[in-house]
Amino acid sequence: MRFKLKTFFSQKKNDSLLSKSLMLLVCLLLVSTFSMYAQTKSISGTITDETKEPLIGVTVRVKGTTVGTVSDFDGKYTISANAGDVLEYSFVGMTSQAITVGSQTTIDIVLKDDAVLLNEMVVIGYGVQKKADLTGSIGSVNAEAIMKQPALNPMQSVQGRIAGVSITNNDAPGASPTVVIRGLGTALGGRDPLYIVDGFPVDNIQNISPADIVSMDILKDASSASIYGLRAANGVILITTKQGQEGSSKIGVESFVGVKTIARRVKMANASQYVNYFNEDVLATNPNSTKLLRPGSEQNYDTDWYDELLKTGFFTNNTVSLSGGSKPVDYFLSFNYYNEKGLLEGQRYDRSTIRNNNTYKFFDDRLKFMQNLNITFTNDRPKGFGNFNTAYRQSPLVPVMFPNGKYGTAIWNTGTGLAGYDKTSPTDEIANLNTHGNPVFQVDNQNELNKTLTLQGGLEAEFKVTDYLKVNTRLGVTRYYEDGRNFTNIRRAWLAADVTRTDAEYDAKREQESKSAQWANNSLLLTDIDDFRWTWEGFATFNKTFDKHNVQAVLGTSRERMNIRSTSRVTVYDVPAQEQYWSRRFASTEIPPLVDQYYETARALASYFGRVQYNFDSKYYFSGTVRRDGSSTFRSNGEYWGTFPSVGLGWTISQEEFLKDNSFIDHLKLKATWGILGNQNIPSNANAILTSSVRGDGFNSNYIFGPDQVINSGAIFGSPAQDLTWEKTREAGFGVDFSFLNQRLSGSVDYYDKLNRNAIILTTPIYTSVASQDYYLHAGQISNKGVEIMLTWQDKFANGISYQVSANYSYNKNKLKGVNPGLDGLTGGSLGNGEITKRFVSGQPVFSWWLYETDGVWQTQEEIDANPHLSGAKPGHLKYKDTDGNGVIDDRDREYFGSYMPTSNFGINITVGYKDFDVSLYGYGVAGNKVYNGLKSARFGGENIAADTYNDRWTGVNSTNSHPGANKDKKPSNYYLEDGSFFRLNNMTLGYTLNDKLFKGSKLRVYTTVQNLFVITGYSGFSPELAGNGNPRDMSGIELDAYPTTRNFLLGFNLQF
Amino acid sequence: MKKIYFAFLTFIIAPLVFSSCSDFLDEPLRDRIEQKDQAAISAEQLVNGIYAQFTSWEYAFAYIGITEIISDNADKGSSETDTGTDKHLLDALGYTSSNESVLSMWTKWYKSVGHASNAIQFTTNANIGDEAYKNRLIGEAKFLRALNYFFLVRGWGDVPIQEIDITTRRPKEEVYAYIEKDLLDAIAVLPEKYTSKDLGRATKGAAAGLLSKVYLYQQKWQQSYDYASQVINSGNYSLESDYAVLWRATSENGPESLFEFQARGDAPALGVQQYSQTQGATGETGWGWGFNTPTQKLLDAFNAESDAIRRDGTIIFSNSTLYDGRVVGSTTNPRYNLKAYSSANAGADNTDKNIRYLRLGEIYLIRAEAANELGKASEAFNDLKMVRDRVKLTTTTSQTKDALRKAIWHERRLELAFEHDRWFDIIRTGEAKAAMAADGKNFIVGKHELFPIPYLQILQTPGMTQNPGWS
Repeated sequence: MRFKLKTFFSQKKNDSLLSKSLMLLVCLLLVSTFSMYAQTKSISGTITDETKEPLIGVTVRVKGTTVGTVSDFDGKYTISANAGDVLEYSFVGMTSQAITVGSQTTIDIVLKDDAVLLNEMVVIGYGVQKKADLTGSIGSVNAEAIMKQPALNPMQSVQGRIAGVSITNNDAPGASPTVVIRGLGTALGGRDPLYIVDGFPVDNIQNISPADIVSMDILKDASSASIYGLRAANGVILITTKQGQEGSSKIGVESFVGVKTIARRVKMANASQYVNYFNEDVLATNPNSTKLLRPGSEQNYDTDWYDELLKTGFFTNNTVSLSGGSKPVDYFLSFNYYNEKGLLEGQRYDRSTIRNNNTYKFFDDRLKFMQNLNITFTNDRPKGFGNFNTAYRQSPLVPVMFPNGKYGTAIWNTGTGLAGYDKTSPTDEIANLNTHGNPVFQVDNQNELNKTLTLQGGLEAEFKVTDYLKVNTRLGVTRYYEDGRNFTNIRRAWLAADVTRTDAEYDAKREQESKSAQWANNSLLLTDIDDFRWTWEGFATFNKTFDKHNVQAVLGTSRERMNIRSTSRVTVYDVPAQEQYWSRRFASTEIPPLVDQYYETARALASYFGRVQYNFDSKYYFSGTVRRDGSSTFRSNGEYWGTFPSVGLGWTISQEEFLKDNSFIDHLKLKATWGILGNQNIPSNANAILTSSVRGDGFNSNYIFGPDQVINSGAIFGSPAQDLTWEKTREAGFGVDFSFLNQRLSGSVDYYDKLNRNAIILTTPIYTSVASQDYYLHAGQISNKGVEIMLTWQDKFANGISYQVSANYSYNKNKLKGVNPGLDGLTGGSLGNGEITKRFVSGQPVFSWWLYETDGVWQTQEEIDANPHLSGAKPGHLKYKDTDGNGVIDDRDREYFGSYMPTSNFGINITVGYKDFDVSLYGYGVAGNKVYNGLKSARFGGENIAADTYNDRWTGVNSTNSHPGANKDKKPSNYYLEDGSFFRLNNMTLGYTLNDKLFKGSKLRVYTTVQNLFVITGYSGFSPELAGNGNPRDMSGIELDAYPTTRNFLLGFNLQF
Repeated sequence: MKKIYFAFLTFIIAPLVFSSCSDFLDEPLRDRIEQKDQAAISAEQLVNGIYAQFTSWEYAFAYIGITEIISDNADKGSSETDTGTDKHLLDALGYTSSNESVLSMWTKWYKSVGHASNAIQFTTNANIGDEAYKNRLIGEAKFLRALNYFFLVRGWGDVPIQEIDITTRRPKEEVYAYIEKDLLDAIAVLPEKYTSKDLGRATKGAAAGLLSKVYLYQQKWQQSYDYASQVINSGNYSLESDYAVLWRATSENGPESLFEFQARGDAPALGVQQYSQTQGATGETGWGWGFNTPTQKLLDAFNAESDAIRRDGTIIFSNSTLYDGRVVGSTTNPRYNLKAYSSANAGADNTDKNIRYLRLGEIYLIRAEAANELGKASEAFNDLKMVRDRVKLTTTTSQTKDALRKAIWHERRLELAFEHDRWFDIIRTGEAKAAMAADGKNFIVGKHELFPIPYLQILQTPGMTQNPGWS
């Protein structure tokens, strides 16, 4: 969270250049002014830190004048001053010094480390501010933290570091983490925070190389975020990328390589166990059945599907950057290449990023042009996550390959009781063990490649009108191209599904139905997406101090147009087998292609915004923001505009006379905020009258008439479209920032109360009514209340060991409320077997678990007959509670069982530095959530189970009351629901820095990192960290087709010269 | 310097001056056509939209659940663990008011009623010069509305009449009267036949046939007899000579057909979604999900009657060869529903199978039943004989009224097996308790005659009463 690099390099100076350089620019903009007046005397000197390393970019100013300069690459400076003038030396993160000029012409300065966070600058949106001057809650992460937790996506590096920012990782190659700031505040509107990169809003930050980032600042509270008004309800993440800096040319190289393995693995039942389980199931249905599997010892195969499926992932990351600057131009140029092989065979992702950030300076920096350019190429070869699910369920009796060279399938001979296709007598019958495929084949047969190109650029002009007024204008654009192809070998899949199938049979089918896509050899889906967005902003910043009154004000306007998007999808058939010919041209002319092309409706936003920040003597703070936003989303009713005000108040008690001399308290500040935020990323509502194309609209309104079976167009009445407007979230909060004991202990405590006052929900019209489609309406409120605590202790021992321990904790309570009866009740969390697990009910967290409550296991038929039971219940099945006491077991007996959303998130970060060594340990955890082990629940029978489940199963009367037997029903119940709490050792790093060892002026740090060395959890599946796609209605919190958490070992180095 | 100053300010201010905000925000729709830019919806389209409901997924899975699987003719089928969400509960008569299939069809039928009412209102107000055409469209919509209400009243008894009040259940007599009125209106305006392009629309015969059945359910024997006679005597219909082809593609909209749910199998296909797939055989040589399988009891009933023609026209047996040459080998279940089998599309999503809703064979049986009740034994005998002659079965003469009634009911079981009528028939005739008991199911008299009102409905409209025996 510090802007300044600290413990990363044991001797800080050049390495923190990039951050410092940015701060230098900021200082130049906000503080320094320059003048051309002649002076009487030239004073020069060298500025170093306590370790005698030169400091670059230190502001040197003659007090009370506009005369100033900055130190150069060697820490040297020259300034003209009169004897008796006071020279002020200031640098962010260092304690400022003032020296009165006497007769000397050389003044060397040693600046002391400020050691605290208070002077750090944070980016607040249309400006920067000293952390000590904030009235809102902003969490910051610097380049060091990002570099120490190497990842593809920079948000992954933030996990566990900022209270109130909940990040759920996904370890799949190319995947983005799910980010929720201060609780999920919407059910159906956009859930993602707003990302702003160098002032420009972007859709996502997947195209940004973490090595290019100098800081990430997360605006958590309403008073901070409301400067982004309409889109700020989910929080705002501001990302600043690196800049070059005048006077220093640098080359940096950052590289790491690593391997990924699955962090936790479930031990599955082996062949013998499976056989017992399978037979018990058969006998439970038909006690006289003779169609049983032979014991495991007689079976031919004992496949561990995870052994077969899981590979060791491998990833590399290399970054080269050049930066520097001269009087007219500063430049930063970097190239990054990231490459990853996933846990599944052939699963690959690579990304190349080129970034160029230049600043062009005119008229002694009064006019500047800042240009950013980011070009990103990605290549993604995905593999279905469903294979992790299939590997769990597929029987160990099935081989990867049969001896005849065909892929193994789940078949067995009911005569011999052996798995496989062999028949020994004519009466032998081949039957299926289950309905699952061969995951190894499925991985092998998936052939998908998606390429993307993202061009992102911005141009900003900044003009200093006077020393207290500057004007900025900027234009940013993002163009995104996606070119995907998905090749499906239909013939191969057909042949692999059944060993008895032959090519000749397939050919015969083809012959019969030559124009049918069903019997094509293969299909090729070609996807093209082209997306464009642009932003223009203009704003003026006023910054002046009148005696003890400090005023900063911003006034601006912006225009934005996005989602200018076209999508084209073409499916063709029968292309040649060789990849080089996979195009539409070489496809079958017999089978008509499926073609779809469409444009999306763009979204336009227009805004006016203003902010005033005032403080009196750095004691009393006021900040007020108003933003007026218009969004084209609300075109249907013409109510484009909304106004979003906010207020922040602060009182720095430690500045008061009565505390000023207190040796215990260094800094103590009380803050209070209030504001209204908006969400315009809402679903579009239905038309009243609906017509369908041929299937694909989720309904059909057309019908066939006549002997020629002509499709006649039809129309139906949908539901009356409701006018939708912004979701408005009111947030109030207060907090305290503190620093004690000579700044060794610092931290903050915040409380917030957020209420989405007009949440949009999807509701089902009354069943007996005319309205036939679910429709959206504003009908509820979503509340998030929470506490955030951050604490840091840092100190140095006499022997030179420096250390820092920081911990953060956040608690959030999420609740849907105020929905009229009958309007809520939407269900979700489908398990893919016809069962659902979640429901959207007023008074509960958004989409909470809604399950049957188990009450042990049925032991005997008599017990079943004597009690309310599910139809078809058998001894060994789970017993469900008749919670409504009406004598039958059905959906009305389902109960609320908590939420998949954690109430607590916590992180602990420890860093220790000694001489040239640095060690760090980062841990992250959550608590208060429940996760559903969907893998454990049956789908269609004959499936494998975990060895633990096997060992504990019900086997007969009074064997157990806690686990069902082999024959069980599929009802979703709390039996599958488990505590989702976990603690992960996110990162353990040992680094060693060599200065000047390689060659003079070089700095080399080598390190090794282990990510997720261990995970502490009671969860019985693979990973309790289950973001799904982030949609609360979908798979969030359900383990089914989820990518498991990985354990990563890295080796890397950073070199700078 | 000044120049830059001004140039810069212009750069900032110009976009503000030259862009009007509301124009900027008036972003044109590109992902769908706005209502105002769409070709005006025609009355005919709205009527087509009512028919289109028959092609929806509900008619494939929920429908077979609450019309067939629930009855003594069909078992759930598929594998032991594949419950089809709730089909095992229907099969075992273990369903409750939270049953998904019951809710699906309750909703589907009410929405269809709503589409019909909308179409009637729209058409009535539309400026259509051709009065006959306009009346025909209204007649079609009324026929379809009656058809949907008929499902509702048979299933739930007293039900809300949507046009009056969606929250209050009306006595079933009132609902029946409402249906009768719609059908009488339809009969008055619908044509006897359509030109080729409109083949498949509701005809006068379809409305009269349905009305005879509606009267049958109310034991209004004379009216039932009259309208059945109107159909039979119209000269527009005749029995298909070969029972086996009745449900094949070749006989679609054939001489025996009064009304069918239309389906197209060729691309772009538009059939009853997954109707053939859900009922297709499973196992090594299967092509579907294997639901809704003929019970042993039904097979026994065919065999007891030596009714090989209808048996083999209704049931797919494992290890057999179908009429189209498909070899059925080992399958999960011993029997499947042949009437749902699509030769061309097999287990594809869109079946090419037209689902026969009403055909002359049944009209004969309706008239036979009504005639018998009216004391016209010989007419009843003749009608029954018409049906049995086709399948090469002899008909016993000189039966008592009671025996003949039983014979007709039994004939309905065999003739109309898997035509989605059995459950309502056994409830209508009072045979349900015994019939279900023979199939090993406990039919509770006073409860199972009616489906439960879905509890989600009661959650929405708490004033609505539940049917007896259900909670």
